[in-house]
Amino acid sequence: MTDATMNQEERTALRDTVRRLFADQCTESDVRRIMESDSGHDPALWRSLAELGIAGLLVAADAGGSQLSAVELELVMEEAGAALAPVPLISTAMASVLLDGELAEALAAGRTIAAVALLGALDWTGDSNVRIEGGRAQGTARFVPDAGIADIFLLASDEGVHLVERASAGITPLPTFDRTRRMADVRFDGAATRIGDGAAARRARDIGLVALAGEQTGGARRIFDITVDYARERHQFGRAIGSFQAIKHMAADLLLEAESATSAARDAARQVAEGAVGKDAAVALAAFACADAFLRCAKDGIQMHGGIAFTWDHPAHLYLRRARSGVQLFGDSNIWRDRYVAALDAMQKEMAA
Amino acid sequence: MTDADLQAEVEAWLAANWRGAPPREESFGRDPRAEWLAQVRDAGWAVPRWPRDWYGRELSAEQAKIVERAFTAAGAPGAGQDRSNLWANTALAHATDSFKRVIVPQLLAGEVGMCLLYSEPGAGSDLAAIRTRAEKVEGGWRVTGQKIWTSGAMIADYGMLIARTDWDVPKHRGISFFFLPMRQEGVEVRPLRQITDESHFNEVFITDAFVPDENLLGPLNGGWGVLQTALAYERSVMGDMARGARSGAAGAKGDHAMLELAREAGKLDDPVVRQDVAQVIAWRVLNKLNTQRAKAELAQGTSSSIMSLGKLAMSRILHEEGRLRTELLGPESLLEGPDHPRAEDANFLSLNAYFTSIGGGTDQIQRNIIGERVLGLPKEPEIDRTIPFREVRAG
Ligand SMILES: Cc1cc2nc3c(=O)[nH]c(=O)nc-3n(C[C@H](O)[C@H](O)[C@H](O)COP(=O)(O)OP(=O)(O)OC[C@H]3O[C@@H](n4cnc5c(N)ncnc54)[C@H](O)[C@@H]3O)c2cc1C
Repeated sequence: MTDATMNQEERTALRDTVRRLFADQCTESDVRRIMESDSGHDPALWRSLAELGIAGLLVAADAGGSQLSAVELELVMEEAGAALAPVPLISTAMASVLLDGELAEALAAGRTIAAVALLGALDWTGDSNVRIEGGRAQGTARFVPDAGIADIFLLASDEGVHLVERASAGITPLPTFDRTRRMADVRFDGAATRIGDGAAARRARDIGLVALAGEQTGGARRIFDITVDYARERHQFGRAIGSFQAIKHMAADLLLEAESATSAARDAARQVAEGAVGKDAAVALAAFACADAFLRCAKDGIQMHGGIAFTWDHPAHLYLRRARSGVQLFGDSNIWRDRYVAALDAMQKEMAA
Repeated sequence: MTDADLQAEVEAWLAANWRGAPPREESFGRDPRAEWLAQVRDAGWAVPRWPRDWYGRELSAEQAKIVERAFTAAGAPGAGQDRSNLWANTALAHATDSFKRVIVPQLLAGEVGMCLLYSEPGAGSDLAAIRTRAEKVEGGWRVTGQKIWTSGAMIADYGMLIARTDWDVPKHRGISFFFLPMRQEGVEVRPLRQITDESHFNEVFITDAFVPDENLLGPLNGGWGVLQTALAYERSVMGDMARGARSGAAGAKGDHAMLELAREAGKLDDPVVRQDVAQVIAWRVLNKLNTQRAKAELAQGTSSSIMSLGKLAMSRILHEEGRLRTELLGPESLLEGPDHPRAEDANFLSLNAYFTSIGGGTDQIQRNIIGERVLGLPKEPEIDRTIPFREVRAG
């Protein structure tokens, strides 16, 4: 890989820049506005991210990208996850691994949005039935994130990666429970150009997992912070509810979850960036540890708030929806726990040999 | 000095000096590796973050890690004591100069056995409720009282003691911290039989035992502050590592031990077992990643909330590993004795997990501490916090 990584100071600066952008243009009311819009997408917000080099974070410098690594991607995703940003960052990061030349340039500039459909063994839903033969793609890919706003589609499986234009795709938007993460079923019947092999497809999937782990970590941390702030301020029986051990001990346990998610996501990002031998295990670990941590922080967060968090206007349910949708993107935690064991097993056998 | 120079120096020193040392099987008493540890100390590798006057090199945290890594790579013990040696760190921070000169070098070489004289029958989680008293006499203090659960007291030369020196102030403000010489007439140690059938912890009956003035750590009646330093080291060590299987026992070790055990048991293809194995390994690996990140963040000067989580995380890891080992073994876990080493392991580890979840402050107390000190949540009301200790109800 040719990716450069930043030093600690540059990373902090990157994080601050992204945080400021979201604080400006992606407040909770922005999220709600975008969530309630037809497309679920805010072109102005996406343009701002492109101008900052975030859309092209992983794109090569000669294609106008920032040419950074999974480590910086993870960091940016923590901020995006905290803000619940409804932006096609995961799809774009995955596509960056698969595209080059003019298409990569358009991606980095924010002119082109690419949706990635994982197929075959990479499609964990088992519901997609796209066949690619003689330069044509035929069949339906299910639950494709960002498909509604995509200009091109990348079909990625262990057999290879193919590009299909929007013109040959029939898009049926899905009524997603998490309105900040739009998906569609996509029916293909038209030309498919081969642009990569199965290894590229798997790399893209790993990048998607790292991005998602970062998003979940950021989400877990933010809903946790919101909850602890509330526990300090809300009084019952003449004292702050955070002084009750039933609440305090839940908070301590959630802190452990949030910290563990942070460690898992960052370790997976580092190992993917370095192409380390332990990367499959690290990615699998992050996949279930971050998903589970976010879900638990979001769920317990509502319980610790009481009735106020059962209202639509409180942000807690937005985090819970996000936590629930992330779990279904690349395979649920049971699948990734199973693959974690497989990856460790393979590593041990390799070392023994 | 550049990182590369430092690394070259420590590696060269190890190559020239490290010839192996006897294993340390008990964590109490005089260290069988004392001779080697003294060498490490004198070369400045034991506590490289410390001042030069005190066996250190005043290295940054990052450079100190280079030293620790070189020792780990060589399999040599003795480095990193500026993080892990609870006794020496407490003494360096709080002992009188004259006592420090004597005790610190001995502690760094493991030449003296140590124990913690904190808990009493009436003061466990609520340590500030201790009733052991120290009374001023010519040249020192006379101590009387009873301590309990004192690990390693049988073979200890000193005990880090908290005792009450003022009864007319609220409970946290009348406590002092001493290094009590254990080998004297007024100190009687009676072993207790533990649930593991070992006898590491003891009752300690103290009757008019003498402790010299210079063995007072920190200010008179300022022992609660010293205790916080000592407890923080103890807890961070407990979160970092825990005693493994009984010495000499068979069986897999390390982060991925559960994987090997499942394979040995022929259960690695059972989907339910795989879920369980993955989660239990994950907890251990995540704790390790957390600890690494905490150390890196501390080195960069960012405050790290993770340090206090390690011990709580380790409790869950040990209890869950004990459970999983037992499940993988099945009915074999009904047995014990040297002919059944895997059962010995599973059963011992299942019981000994409480060492971490009770000792050094229970899991519940750790959650209080994390909630209050890390997250800034208010304390529970404490009715005895502000009244003179004399008036506090006991029982
Ligand atoms: C293996 C082992 C080795 C030990 N070694 C030493 C040693 O070397 N030196 C030494 O001084 N001590 C030692 N201890 C003692 C240990 O520190 C105490 O057992 C521990 O702090 C708990 O105190 P306790 O046993 O009196 O229980 P208690 O304090 O009576 O607690 C009983 C129960 O009440 C809960 N509880 C108490 N207060 C609160 C609260 N405020 N909030 C919520 N829950 C609460 C506890 O969590 C526990 O579940 C050792 C203990 C063990 C198990």
